[in-house]
Amino acid sequence: MAATNEQELSGVELRRVFRLAFDRLEEYRDTVNALNVFPVPDGDTGTNMSLTLRAGIERCAESEAPTAGEVARDLSQGTFFGARGNSGVILSQFFKGFGDALDGSETCTASDLGRALDMAREAAYGAVGNPREGTMLTVIRRSAEAALEEGAASVAHVLQTAYLASCVALKNTPEQLPVLKEAGVVDSGGLGIVVILGGVLEGLSPDRLEGVSEEAGLEGIIGESMASLGGSDQSREAGFVHQSLEADWGYCTEFIISGSDLSPQAVRQYFEESARSTVVVGDPNNVRVHIHADDPGPAISYGVALGTVSNVKIESMDDQNAEWAAGHSAPAPTVGAEQAVVAVAAGEGLAGLFMEAGCGHVIQGGQTMNPSVQQIMQGIERAGAENTIFLPNNKNIVLTAEQVAAIDATVHVVPTRSVPQGVTALLAYNPHSSLEENLAAMQETLSEVITIEVTQAVRDTSVDGVSVKLGDYIALMDDELVITADSPETALENAVKLAEAGADSILTIYRGADVKQETAEACAESLESQISGLQVDQIYGGQPHYHYLASVE
Amino acid sequence: MAIKIVTDSVADLPPALAGANDITVVPAYVIIGNETFRDGLDISADRFYERLGTLPRLPTTSQPTMADFQEVYQRLLDQGHQIVSVHVSAKLSGTVNSATQAKAALGDASQIEIVDSQLASAPQGLAVLNAAEWAREMPDFHEVARRIRQALPRYRSYVLLDTLEYLQKGGRIGKAQAFVGGMLKVKPILTVQDGEVHPVERPRSRERCKARLIELIRNLAPVRQINISYSTDRVQALAVRAELAEMVDPEHLIESRFGPVLGTYLGPDALGVTVAQGSADWT
Repeated sequence: MAATNEQELSGVELRRVFRLAFDRLEEYRDTVNALNVFPVPDGDTGTNMSLTLRAGIERCAESEAPTAGEVARDLSQGTFFGARGNSGVILSQFFKGFGDALDGSETCTASDLGRALDMAREAAYGAVGNPREGTMLTVIRRSAEAALEEGAASVAHVLQTAYLASCVALKNTPEQLPVLKEAGVVDSGGLGIVVILGGVLEGLSPDRLEGVSEEAGLEGIIGESMASLGGSDQSREAGFVHQSLEADWGYCTEFIISGSDLSPQAVRQYFEESARSTVVVGDPNNVRVHIHADDPGPAISYGVALGTVSNVKIESMDDQNAEWAAGHSAPAPTVGAEQAVVAVAAGEGLAGLFMEAGCGHVIQGGQTMNPSVQQIMQGIERAGAENTIFLPNNKNIVLTAEQVAAIDATVHVVPTRSVPQGVTALLAYNPHSSLEENLAAMQETLSEVITIEVTQAVRDTSVDGVSVKLGDYIALMDDELVITADSPETALENAVKLAEAGADSILTIYRGADVKQETAEACAESLESQISGLQVDQIYGGQPHYHYLASVE
Repeated sequence: MAIKIVTDSVADLPPALAGANDITVVPAYVIIGNETFRDGLDISADRFYERLGTLPRLPTTSQPTMADFQEVYQRLLDQGHQIVSVHVSAKLSGTVNSATQAKAALGDASQIEIVDSQLASAPQGLAVLNAAEWAREMPDFHEVARRIRQALPRYRSYVLLDTLEYLQKGGRIGKAQAFVGGMLKVKPILTVQDGEVHPVERPRSRERCKARLIELIRNLAPVRQINISYSTDRVQALAVRAELAEMVDPEHLIESRFGPVLGTYLGPDALGVTVAQGSADWT
């Protein structure tokens, strides 16, 4: 490894250290994902932060800019467009502040770094309406404060101080946020920040990182959280969570290369150059590959040359996309229109539902797949209208959508936090009314809908005072865990009653991909007979992970 | 010699009102299978809706022919009358065409004014009723026609449908296409604007839809006349009528029925409310 000047960083060095930080974040991605307060399949913080940072790293690699200011700008711009999920948006704003601070700088000195972290902190806090402590924001703030106090020591020294402060802040997050305390975990986004800072420090000086690792105690912090989550850091070792939202074509190809002395980094580099949507994780003995390629043949051959290839899975995305496109007119019916609605939805059923109810375009995504700023912009472009009303349909996509609206005045976000809320808002849309009338009518519906989500607990935990066992069926009402039951139907029925659905209410049930029609129908009928005057609509949503989504209006 | 008002059966004018106001109604046609019926004459609304639910194929409709109009016009002209002929929107039907051709084919076309009401059903009916009033009061039939045209923007109506299926299959969906489709049950509220069907809102339940309909109508006050029309559910029509009765004088509260031609496009369980905006003396 090249010796690093500890006094100041050139553009090339800055790029290298953040590249290493990205690699570390990739390695910890599943650990970060696992630090999920709710025992439900959720917007994955690790995945979101990793994909966001990756967009910054890719921008840096493309531009090969020589100065620190330009590299920081590349990181800022790349992460902006790649930002996914709330954690990704906060991270992208972190880099925005960082980039603004270094604007025009040839190199990054120790004092530059302190100032840049401070501006990064300010920008990150500005990203959210009401910043909460005990989150990644606190971790960012504490590290920036420590870096500023450290003053004009060496770059590496400033970083070391920031890193140590971030670890302390991370460890303290459960004391600040009761939901973390109850679940016995530290904040997931905060861990992401710690890992990034640690990666940068390692890039500057591997010896320093090693020297402070005991004081930092990161492995201990992670170990405690993992123990609370009911197991070892198994999920990190399993390490194979894959998301792909890129609407591209060809073959989704996955396989494992087994051998000895494998280099996950070399494999990743190879596929980043030859394929799309590359996700490569592993260790010297096993490397898991996930790529999108026009021809999976050479990818497999490459694997065979390195070791034994197993668990091969190849799916044609053309088929999937064609199937999807066949049912829906392309180009979008709203191209050239004065206004259009664009929504985010996961699953064929829901996407079809939104299209039929009048959307110009549906971006595939949702609970566990948060689209990036860029993907949202592409979807909006696809709809092709002069003005776009955007429905995020997920609480972890609202902030990303607002980022888009911040740079594009023709985009108007109606902040729907769930799919059922989105459907109700969409039904208030009338393409022949004015934009202002539509925005007002759609906004008004938000308070009229109670959202119920039924899924299966992915581990033992206690949330919102309800204790949950792995495998329990649980119901969330407006994001609060309210019911545990031994079947999804019981969970739904009890939640509907808890929502005080009555004679004037309309209950809409969106059946998930794993639920049989007869089962859902029986459940709908049962509710209809139990609550007199209740109107029940039961339809196929086809959403993954969630047995039922429902709304009570 | 007098000024006589002619219209078509799409106006859904209750026969008693047509008779009392000396309005001549030219029937359109409804075709069920191989049978052709004159709207309102050969088939009653009750019988039509009864059959509608059992038909393998939806009925179709046909405008009155040029000959139908010629016959009516000729008879009235022979009696020495002048004619103002008020018809269903040319964007929805070819009726205005038939009437115009009939007028052109007559020897003396100068005594006939044809008015495209840009409306259909109850609002067209109100326009025709008011036309009859002016025909009695005003000396010049051109003036009557001018007055009718001038008043057209005052007729506002909303119709609540159980389904858009009939409107769509019948090819009259217009801009309400935006509300078509989907697995979700919605109860669309539509209106006629610029001669075409327009979507208004799509509440999720019948009850909310009815409440919203009443609200929309109340927002149009002051109104001179109200017409409540329905296809199959009179009880519901009466309930809405009771809610709105206080808005107008009793003689200006009219109940009508969507006849077979309208029923072909609206289907069962349709409910419409039409108003003529303005105070009792049209100010």
